[in-house]
Amino acid sequence: MLKLISLLIVVVLLSSCLSGNDLYRKVLTKSSIVSIEDRMKHVQENVFDITSIASITESVIVTSFRKTGVNFILYFSDDGAEIDKTSIEQIIKHANFMRNNPTLTLRLEGHADERGTREYNLALGENRALNVKEVLSLYDLSSRIKVISFGEEKPMIQQHDEGAWQKNRRVEFIYQ
Amino acid sequence: MKQFIVFILSLYTTLSWAVLEVTIFKHDGNTFPIVISDFFVVDDASQGKIIADIMRNNFNRSGEFSVVNTNYVISNEPSFDKWKAKKIEAIVLGKLEKISKKIFNVEIKLLDVYSKKTLYKDTLTVHNNGIRRAAHYLSDQIYHALLGKRGFFNTRLAYITVINKNKGEREYRLEISDSDAQNPQTILKSREPILSPVWSPKQDKIAYVFFKNSRSEVFIQYPFIRRKIQKIPYFDGISSSPSWHPNGGILLLTLSKNGNADIYSYHLSSKKLTRLTIDMGIDTEASYSPDGNKIVFTSNRSGQVQVYIKDLKTNRINRVTFKGKYNAKAVFSPDGKSLIMIHKIDQDYRIALLDIATKDLTVMTNNQLDESPFFSPNGDMIIFATNQGGFGVLSVVSTWGRKIFDLTSKVGEVREPNWSHYLK
Repeated sequence: MLKLISLLIVVVLLSSCLSGNDLYRKVLTKSSIVSIEDRMKHVQENVFDITSIASITESVIVTSFRKTGVNFILYFSDDGAEIDKTSIEQIIKHANFMRNNPTLTLRLEGHADERGTREYNLALGENRALNVKEVLSLYDLSSRIKVISFGEEKPMIQQHDEGAWQKNRRVEFIYQ
Repeated sequence: MKQFIVFILSLYTTLSWAVLEVTIFKHDGNTFPIVISDFFVVDDASQGKIIADIMRNNFNRSGEFSVVNTNYVISNEPSFDKWKAKKIEAIVLGKLEKISKKIFNVEIKLLDVYSKKTLYKDTLTVHNNGIRRAAHYLSDQIYHALLGKRGFFNTRLAYITVINKNKGEREYRLEISDSDAQNPQTILKSREPILSPVWSPKQDKIAYVFFKNSRSEVFIQYPFIRRKIQKIPYFDGISSSPSWHPNGGILLLTLSKNGNADIYSYHLSSKKLTRLTIDMGIDTEASYSPDGNKIVFTSNRSGQVQVYIKDLKTNRINRVTFKGKYNAKAVFSPDGKSLIMIHKIDQDYRIALLDIATKDLTVMTNNQLDESPFFSPNGDMIIFATNQGGFGVLSVVSTWGRKIFDLTSKVGEVREPNWSHYLK
């Protein structure tokens, strides 16, 4: 049921987003991999202004990618693996990006916060990444996606409070 | 000469920092008062003192005894009245005799102060390397003679230590030690996470999860045979949560090769893989009942994280936890009658003991982030990982709810303890 709902949301969002597809038309070479987040940073508010994209030089893209290391991160609710509406919008941007850069493959790394048991968190992290993959699969991208889970073993923030836990419940997008 | 001394010192520090520190919590009353004499030593056999000390530490750490220290050898025919006046109920006497360069005879005698009878006596011939093991074995024998149940001394621990290095780098170590945390050995060292170590029933192998190839995979290592490692075949997805069948021939695994974490059994000699759970949710953290006829596991199939038991003969699966919204990582007690698990109360994750027949759930701890509970082989103690001031340590509570001792590392965090069966 949940899957059906998210599927419907995706279809709705997809139709509304396709107009902005040109945004990702600039096909990057493999060495100039960049996250959507970085590109969005440069494009700033003016998401659909295609002219600003052209001003991003390849070296800027490469540098910003190297700096961040991680391309993009989706956060999750406590013990949840569900993808909410804003996350789906983000995932669709990745889908468009991947379709326009057909040589890229994506590794989805699932993570959990430290609470609860390690082995359960390993499975929970995987479920989070699998749910992201499921959305991307609607764009026929599943053959280019690899899912792995680190559970709670690689926290983004090594503290023991709600702020840290929120940041640690995540799926990282890593293009290869 | 100077270089030699430096070398010795550095060797010593390497060893000493690796040893976990044991902090014993003393409880007044209701403990068995016992005196353990220094051993009577014939010839050059200074190990006598070591044996007595190991045994005293064991009994102090048992939660059942209070040990009166003596730094002298009590006469072979002690004055029972004197010890009775000191409220001592039992006396342990020992004798150590060197019979060749590295071979010793160990004689032990346990005397009851009130009846003046000998409750237990034995003579062992041990190699120099076996002195420590002999002290643990004798501790178990005396424990049994006095309380009518087995101790937990002649056993080993396995655990993971994590050392935070510069720039967020971490070093993970799979370590083993004797039950008193002495004699530590690093089995595996890596920058990638290691988790879920479990001793095989014969204590000759340890199965664990290792992210060597940037994904979770299960390995079996022979800690006493150099470089001997057995790899479980690779399947797509996660491969984790190993647990041994009591016969040592089958390993339970969590695999997600079919899209979602489910439980499988892997027959080590035939390499046959059998799927034990089929569910849309997460099924993981499986372990066998002591008779091998059932498995207990964690599942979120109900929408909550709860504990289930599958009867492997009837294939029926029953939910066993109903209190609270999060119960996980359950393990059977050695008698098969209860389960120890992680139980969430409000925002805290604590250790809880469940009586399987009555469904009574008893919360054993008062912490926030408890993990990985495991029984001592006699079923009296529960070892688990917890967090003290943001730092991972191991802690031991008795099944009757007393804090017994903590194990901490000076150099890193300690986690995921596993207690071996009795050494043969």
